[in-house]
Amino acid sequence: MSALLRWLLLRRLAREHGRTLLTVLGVALGVAVFVSIRLANHSAMASFADTVDAVTGRANLTVESASDGFAESLYVRLARDPRIEAAAPVVQVSALAKPGGPGPAGPLPTGDRGAWRESMLFLGIDPFVEAPFDRFGALAGGDGRYRGPVALAGALRLLTEPRTVAVTGAFAARTGLRVDDTLSVLVSGRPVPLVVAMVLPGQALQQAMGGNVALMDVATAQEVFGRAGRLDRVDLIVPPRRRDALRRALAAEMPAGVTVDLPQARTRQVENMVAAFALNLTALSFIALLVSLFLVFNAVAMSVLRWRREIGVLRSLGATRGQVARLFLLEGLLLGVAGSALGLGLGTLLARATLGAVGRTLTDLYLVQHANRVVLDPATYAIGFGLGVATALVSALAPALEAAHTPPGLTMRQGMLLEARRLPVGRWALAGLGTLGLAGLVVAWTMREHLAWGGFLAAFLVVAAFTLASPAFTLAGETLVRRPAEALGGIEGALGARALRDFVARTSVVVASLMLAVGMTVALTIMVRSFRSTVDTWITQTIRGDLYVEPAGHRTSLAATALPDSLVRAARRLPGVRAVDTYRATPIRLGNRQAFAVGIDFAVQERFGHLEFLHGVPSRDVFARALARNEVLVTESFAHNFRVRTGDTLRLPAPAGNEALRIAGVFYDYSAEGGAVLMDRHLFARLWHDDRTESLALYCEPGADVARVRREFVALAGPDLVLHVTPNQDLRRRVLSVFDQTFRITFALQFIAVLVAVLGVVTTLTALILQRGRDIGVLRAVGALRRQVWRIVLIESAILGLLGSLLGCAAGWVLALILVHVINRQSFGWTLRMTVDPLVFAQAVALMVVTAIVAGLGPARYASDRVAAEALRVET
Amino acid sequence: MTRPAEHLPGVPPALRFVDVRKEYALGDGVIRALDGLSFEVPRGEFVAIVGRSGSGKSTVLQLAAGIDVPTSGEVWVDGRELSRLPDDELTRSRRDRVGMVHQFFNLLATLSVRENVALPLLLGGGDRREALRRADALVDQVGLAHRRESRPHMLSGGEMQRVAIARALVHGPALVLADEPTGNLDSRSAGQIVELLGRLGREHGATVVLVTHSQEAAGAATRTIELSDGRIVADTTGGA
Repeated sequence: MSALLRWLLLRRLAREHGRTLLTVLGVALGVAVFVSIRLANHSAMASFADTVDAVTGRANLTVESASDGFAESLYVRLARDPRIEAAAPVVQVSALAKPGGPGPAGPLPTGDRGAWRESMLFLGIDPFVEAPFDRFGALAGGDGRYRGPVALAGALRLLTEPRTVAVTGAFAARTGLRVDDTLSVLVSGRPVPLVVAMVLPGQALQQAMGGNVALMDVATAQEVFGRAGRLDRVDLIVPPRRRDALRRALAAEMPAGVTVDLPQARTRQVENMVAAFALNLTALSFIALLVSLFLVFNAVAMSVLRWRREIGVLRSLGATRGQVARLFLLEGLLLGVAGSALGLGLGTLLARATLGAVGRTLTDLYLVQHANRVVLDPATYAIGFGLGVATALVSALAPALEAAHTPPGLTMRQGMLLEARRLPVGRWALAGLGTLGLAGLVVAWTMREHLAWGGFLAAFLVVAAFTLASPAFTLAGETLVRRPAEALGGIEGALGARALRDFVARTSVVVASLMLAVGMTVALTIMVRSFRSTVDTWITQTIRGDLYVEPAGHRTSLAATALPDSLVRAARRLPGVRAVDTYRATPIRLGNRQAFAVGIDFAVQERFGHLEFLHGVPSRDVFARALARNEVLVTESFAHNFRVRTGDTLRLPAPAGNEALRIAGVFYDYSAEGGAVLMDRHLFARLWHDDRTESLALYCEPGADVARVRREFVALAGPDLVLHVTPNQDLRRRVLSVFDQTFRITFALQFIAVLVAVLGVVTTLTALILQRGRDIGVLRAVGALRRQVWRIVLIESAILGLLGSLLGCAAGWVLALILVHVINRQSFGWTLRMTVDPLVFAQAVALMVVTAIVAGLGPARYASDRVAAEALRVET
Repeated sequence: MTRPAEHLPGVPPALRFVDVRKEYALGDGVIRALDGLSFEVPRGEFVAIVGRSGSGKSTVLQLAAGIDVPTSGEVWVDGRELSRLPDDELTRSRRDRVGMVHQFFNLLATLSVRENVALPLLLGGGDRREALRRADALVDQVGLAHRRESRPHMLSGGEMQRVAIARALVHGPALVLADEPTGNLDSRSAGQIVELLGRLGREHGATVVLVTHSQEAAGAATRTIELSDGRIVADTTGGA
């Protein structure tokens, strides 16, 4: 077989290098998209895990509160506990920072960070107790001794000098900071200058958050970030054998809202939180791979056609069917291996771009700090390579079997259709209908059982159903377009249309691959537009107030942010302001998932709010009831994630205890996928012992000049605060721009899938021309002009594009239903209103017909150039 | 050796080769298929071109059909010199003035018998109904009236070749070129096909040039040209 392989396969692939290259490129694109998405997801998670590892060191238990920390007296208790070998207190705050002095303050446009470009993790630690934890590199060694005079001096400065900080070598190198330089940090919108006392030389923190980590003495951190007497975490080292028992025992002793966990638990929570997002992206990344399946099928089928005579010769010389089949399977394998190998490289390059987009989305939707370094994950490469090769092999199977079953003498029988076997078109169409029905059952079942994968399985079944129906659709389509094609295109039109029927096994592959590309494009476009229009309606209806006020860096620091009380009080007295709503939120942990508890002013919401509740319950009634009875409201995604509904009782882990709270209503919300529980600010303050304000919404008097109110508020805030004071129209634009940013990657993936489908059209049309080489030669011999042959091929391409896109529109509509009503609900718990613009279909059809015609140019040229003499059997 | 043409006054011969050379590159060398070939075929004649494999007889047909061009010399079909015509003109010449019959029939599998026959007319922009009417008449003449709607793969070899002959004549060409039309048929069918070709050629006023290995087939022609190494070695009149 090896000689056969060399003579028959490798030489052929080398000779037909153009076609080989196209196919390899198609497979490579499919694999690359999958690899890049998986690498980006993996890197985002790995970066988070690395940060957790780096900042926990040898700690094997952590005590923390999901919300706003706990009193430091708890640390004292733990440090004295004889069951615990070592305990270390940690204050942990993310904030915006910039090298150099604070510079001018004042308002910043929405979404603009100004000079505050660095998102940094500030860790307040106690260097005296750090030694056993073996972390933070040179600050302390495992033996408990400070290493070297420079490190010792730096560590001492952290302890003894106010507002000093240690930065990583990576951060210092990137920003040019040196010891004694200033690093400014935004604390609740107020710039605070810190002095760099030390540049950490070790490797430990260089990779965590891309090196954007700064260490401070715990007291300094408490003072700078306004967390006097509070800690965010206590890391513990306990005897490994007793760890689990001790975890349970300590958990039982902790105050409400404080948990005892393994350090890795936080990573798992984040993984759980972003799982649906990651699953959606991964599913999307399969599309290009799926389309490349058709491409390899076409490539090998084309080889079978082109080498039909040689197959006959081989068979007559004694080659077995198995040998012939293996030859073409090997072709699939080689294409798969080459494409996958190239795909791994391409995928790695793409991952750098993808990571930016994925990271931004994770930050926008899940508030997870994003990674900036691609982590090369061997498992991803192995899976990507395996999938590429397996896809290629599966695709090659059908044509390889067709080759093996081609009777050796077939080419001698002229005037016969060179389709080896007739397709059972009717049975396939019926199977397609059955598969569509099965998809419906899967949807019904998995919706009832809350199974997140149901929508994806249903979508796959829909694609399979439409693929099975494509031969019947091609035949039906040919019947419909034959007369118009003939009327418009004369004999060329008639011949172009006729080929669709007579070569249905081949043409329906083009129709199916175009169906898939168009279907996905249409479905994603409808979904994204429906989503956007739902969000637009939602934000327009529910936007709080006329002006939205938040300190710059709020999205980074979250609950560590607080506006001055004096500012909140002054805002209420500002002329032209009718009401002020305040916002305070804290992360909460329920089971293994994270959500948010939010305190807003229900009295203001009752008067001015427009939240839209499920089942159309009026907003005013719900707020009035909730305010009167201390009840809470939950977002739709919260209700979905935690399977609760109106009337149910929630137990929230708050510092004041696990109070039972009745749910007064479920409202539509698209702001955070984790979900949120809304309560009146007074209830929040009581449960969380926290009456601070993170952000404000100002409601202006009717007819008031909002721009003037804004100017006066900015003046009120004074020159020391960096604030975003955003009119609601700008906020709406900002939300929609974040939305568009989030879906940019979707369209990039979609574009690649269409590109692979176009490669499929080129190779299939070429296959069709090869298959009909003699026929086209005969046409030329009996008087068809070159341009008539061009027209035949191009009309055929256009009809294929038309049929593929029409079937794709139908498939796309069904897939859009699944995306909008099933996948979004199952994955994120969002109800979207489906908006279908007929223009989407018209654009898809027009685009695909034009694309198919362009794809047909090469084959048309090939057809008109090469085959006339061949048909006449040259004999000198 | 060229036989003098029997011209009608003012009527050009159906086919005329003037000192035609045809060379093909083969690796580093050159194969000379035709070596200064000159002859004329007057209108209405039924000429057989015979010779061993490689003698150049099929090259004669390709040049006459305008599918290939000579390396030097002139090829005239129905009074038009082909060698300097652009591709479209060559195709039109083929479509309007030439009919072709091939050894392997070369019918389009996707078309019915009558559609195959009507094809040259339709490609020339003819009216579909008229093209099919003329095709039907030809199909009747070749004895396949009952097979009009059949697809080629449902026919026997002899029947397929009859369809090919009907297709070659449907547009009233001056010249019918037949390349080994009996090479793929049994002897009985072969005899019938050659007889049909000759008869219909006469009835339609077409000149028939038949390339063949078969002495029996050549015997049906009114004139036989024998080629060897790209040259005429014999040009005899007689036979049917």
